[in-house]
Amino acid sequence: MRTQVSFARRGREAAPYLFIAPFFVLFATFGLYPLLRTAWLSLHRWDLLAGPVEFTGLANYARLFADPFFYNALANTASIFLVGAVPQLVAALGIAALLDRPLRGRTAWQAVVLLPNVVPVVAVALVFTQLFMRDHGLVARILSALGAGPLDWQAHAWSAHLGVAIMVLWRWTGYHALLYLAAMQSVPRELHEAAALDGASRARSFRSVTLPGIRPTLLFTAVVSTIGGVQLFTEPRLFGGTSTGGNDRQFQTLVMYLHERGFEQLDAGYAATISWVLFALCALVALGNTALVRRLVGRW
Amino acid sequence: MRRAPGALAGPALLLVLVASLFPLYWSVVVASHDGASTSTGALPLLPGGELVDHVRAVFEAVDFRAALANSAIVAVTVTASNVLLSTLAGFAFAHLRFRGRRALLGLVVGSVMVPAQLGVVPLFELMGWLGWYGDLAAVVAPGLVSAFGVFWMRQACREAVPRELVDAARVDGCSSVRIWWHVVLPAVRPQAVVLAMLTFLAAWNDFFWPLVVLDPVESPTVQVALSHLAGGYYTDYPLVLTGAVLGTAPVVVLFALPARRLIAGLRRVPVDR
Amino acid sequence: MQRAGVGRALVCLVAAALVAAGCGTSGAGGGGRVRLTVATFGEFGYEPLFEEYERAHPEVDVVGRVTDFDTHHRGLITALATGRGAADVVAVEEQYMPRLRRSARRFADLAAFGADRLRERWPRWKWEQGVADGGRVVFALGTDMGSLAMCYRRDLFERAGLPTDRDRVAALWPTWEAYAEVADRFAERVADARFADSAGTVYTAVLNQAEENYFAKADDSFIGDTNPNVRRAFGIAGAIAAKGRTAKVTTFTPEWNVAINRGAFATVTCPAWMLAQIREAGGAAGAGRWDVTAVPGGGGNWGGSYLAVPAQGAHQREAYRLAEWLTAPEQQEELFVRSGILPSEPEVYRDPVVLGHTDPYFGGAPVGALFAASSDRVRPNHRGIRDADVRPVFGRALGRVEDGAQDVAQAWEQAVREAHDLIG
Repeated sequence: MRTQVSFARRGREAAPYLFIAPFFVLFATFGLYPLLRTAWLSLHRWDLLAGPVEFTGLANYARLFADPFFYNALANTASIFLVGAVPQLVAALGIAALLDRPLRGRTAWQAVVLLPNVVPVVAVALVFTQLFMRDHGLVARILSALGAGPLDWQAHAWSAHLGVAIMVLWRWTGYHALLYLAAMQSVPRELHEAAALDGASRARSFRSVTLPGIRPTLLFTAVVSTIGGVQLFTEPRLFGGTSTGGNDRQFQTLVMYLHERGFEQLDAGYAATISWVLFALCALVALGNTALVRRLVGRW
Repeated sequence: MRRAPGALAGPALLLVLVASLFPLYWSVVVASHDGASTSTGALPLLPGGELVDHVRAVFEAVDFRAALANSAIVAVTVTASNVLLSTLAGFAFAHLRFRGRRALLGLVVGSVMVPAQLGVVPLFELMGWLGWYGDLAAVVAPGLVSAFGVFWMRQACREAVPRELVDAARVDGCSSVRIWWHVVLPAVRPQAVVLAMLTFLAAWNDFFWPLVVLDPVESPTVQVALSHLAGGYYTDYPLVLTGAVLGTAPVVVLFALPARRLIAGLRRVPVDR
Repeated sequence: MQRAGVGRALVCLVAAALVAAGCGTSGAGGGGRVRLTVATFGEFGYEPLFEEYERAHPEVDVVGRVTDFDTHHRGLITALATGRGAADVVAVEEQYMPRLRRSARRFADLAAFGADRLRERWPRWKWEQGVADGGRVVFALGTDMGSLAMCYRRDLFERAGLPTDRDRVAALWPTWEAYAEVADRFAERVADARFADSAGTVYTAVLNQAEENYFAKADDSFIGDTNPNVRRAFGIAGAIAAKGRTAKVTTFTPEWNVAINRGAFATVTCPAWMLAQIREAGGAAGAGRWDVTAVPGGGGNWGGSYLAVPAQGAHQREAYRLAEWLTAPEQQEELFVRSGILPSEPEVYRDPVVLGHTDPYFGGAPVGALFAASSDRVRPNHRGIRDADVRPVFGRALGRVEDGAQDVAQAWEQAVREAHDLIG
């Protein structure tokens, strides 16, 4: 009898660890190990092909913090993110609100909204480069029909950032909308009903019931999309066709710069340094957001 | 009762529909014309009649059947594993008490920040040591569970499963595994379905890693096969976009048909508490 | 009940898929046959040759892997860096050769299999790009080359009141300075098309005619800022760009394809391998509108590839035999006649079949003789180890001039500064 109880208790104590073990084992192998190895690389002059040349300590970091291209990439990354983030948040919330109501074939709608995320990246790049072609693209024609001259999207920083942001926006808005929708559906209906009984307008009810109800999700997606923003690579890389992002690096993001250094100039040590600075940036974002979550939602 | 949709809902939904579908529609348009008409910059707005020929050409140019099968294996495995393992860990973080929980959860949140594609070279080395180069395992293994999934399911467990319910089950003598299975899983199914859809998409669409670690001839996924199609000096847009449409269609069908029944079935489970 | 069933099925599926995924192994084909993979990019035209080789060598299976330029080279570098995953025979484009030479030990020394006896197949400059350690190690064998000609639109030349006959066109531009003057004449008469596709192609052509560009032949030091060859090329291409004589389309982009199709530019410096792309982009309607003639300033080279055998391969000797066969004159000739891929071996481009080859799409131009003549005049062009890092810096500078963001002097100054920072 006694042994049975202690066996059960021990099982109960071990259970949580067993539940979380698969995640941590896999993370340690495929996430942490590469990260640590990258840290080791960043302390060396390390040629991607020839291997370690010499141990240089923090020299790569010193070089990076004095590197104007690094700051340029940092500014571009931030700019593209900001240009895209606000419209994306508003659009995703709007779509989620539209779908969070009696609607025929809501599941089909969900699928439609998610569709941009299904289209292969290669196809997205081809389609958007065609749409944005300087002289003969559809957008160029619409612009010229409206009386504006042809726009060379890639030639100016602002238009290149806008173009990339549009691609990101198109690909990810539906994704975030679905996250919001899932959260909205778990907001208790009674709250909406109570608000309706009190004579609250739809907009009012959305503001004072729905939004607070999905706040954790809002913050979570804010974190996820900021991290996605910091790591932006595919869209601008395919948009310009090179890792430098335009003739004056006007839309080179941090990860593009990392690729240029690592895979084109074979400077693996420097690329690893950029990786770690990126990681630190993401961690800062995470800490900031964690503080926010704590303040707004209480304890973990 | 919720109120009827407002007057603007219709047009707004239409806009969403057009914006979502247009680029895909455009892919079909390009895919169904011959190469010359796309390089004239003439921008045909309606589909042409060459789609069937291009489909045949795609199947001749690459082993698209194998690519579809490989992508399906990867996406299904990764999805199933992610949902199960994330729910398991998410439940533990949401409702079980154990030492180091906060610190470990912090680690999960922190690892959302680990930029996945930045460790390409070390990860590639690792796959070499494991003997997984060119093997689907190299794509499947790193995707089996994600920090995103764990965090997402933890939120879901907190929102959808009241603590009292867990406590009550425990008083009834349920083990943690039984609570997970009988109480938590049914309650978080809407969020689990969302996670499944998102994971499936991400796995299906993963591009850079499979391209690095898989053999484009021996073990292509759809994305790898597509880059193979685009491999010539001269990019044959109709061919590549036909491949893209072929690679997208199964996912669309999957979401539009069975997922619909699946989600409808799930919704019958009362979510209200 | 039903629920539990689904869940259990999922668990089983994960387990089964993991097992299945872990079991598939690549390696030797069945029946003791050796399986050789050949990784190339773009169009090498090798597929029929593989079949031919398999027929002659029943014990060998040859499998081709084709990806795009970037994917191919990034994949190759990753595989070389980690010692896994490279094909048995890999193609390497010229611009990657200096970097790979530094790590020649990642490749099999083909001299050990007898490659040093093949030296006479290639002109000296081509052979020397594939050797390391002062010629003791042979790590790559030459395939094609990109000797330059000039492709031009007869219809646009006619509208501009310029001659259209290819010899008279060639006589218009003995030098690049003369080419720039023809561009001015063209612009006076034709408003809806530009003379060249981009400043970058002009620049590359001028630069590649010089023996030294960014790095000194003697000690590989950076001389890009002082070398008159670089300044001249930059000045010529920059002036053409600043005057708006280019269509501002980057080679191989969708815009470039559309520009070809619509006749948005009248000339483009074209290595042999570019003819196929012009044909594809131009479509049937473009047949006979284009023609090919000599490039200003004599010959020149743009691009060209090599085959190498990574040292990590399990069948290096067999891989060498295949690479040796693929680069042998007979096969090179076949590739040229069938796919227009220009051999880098003098013996082949002096062959009557090659010399007599014409291209009906380009108005029946004698492309065999043209490219062969151009090949004869290719001067070895020293590429420093960091050439590929510096080259794009100057290319982007010309892009800024085309974008209207900077004038030629500003662009040059920024390029030199960036190049210095890069070299360190």
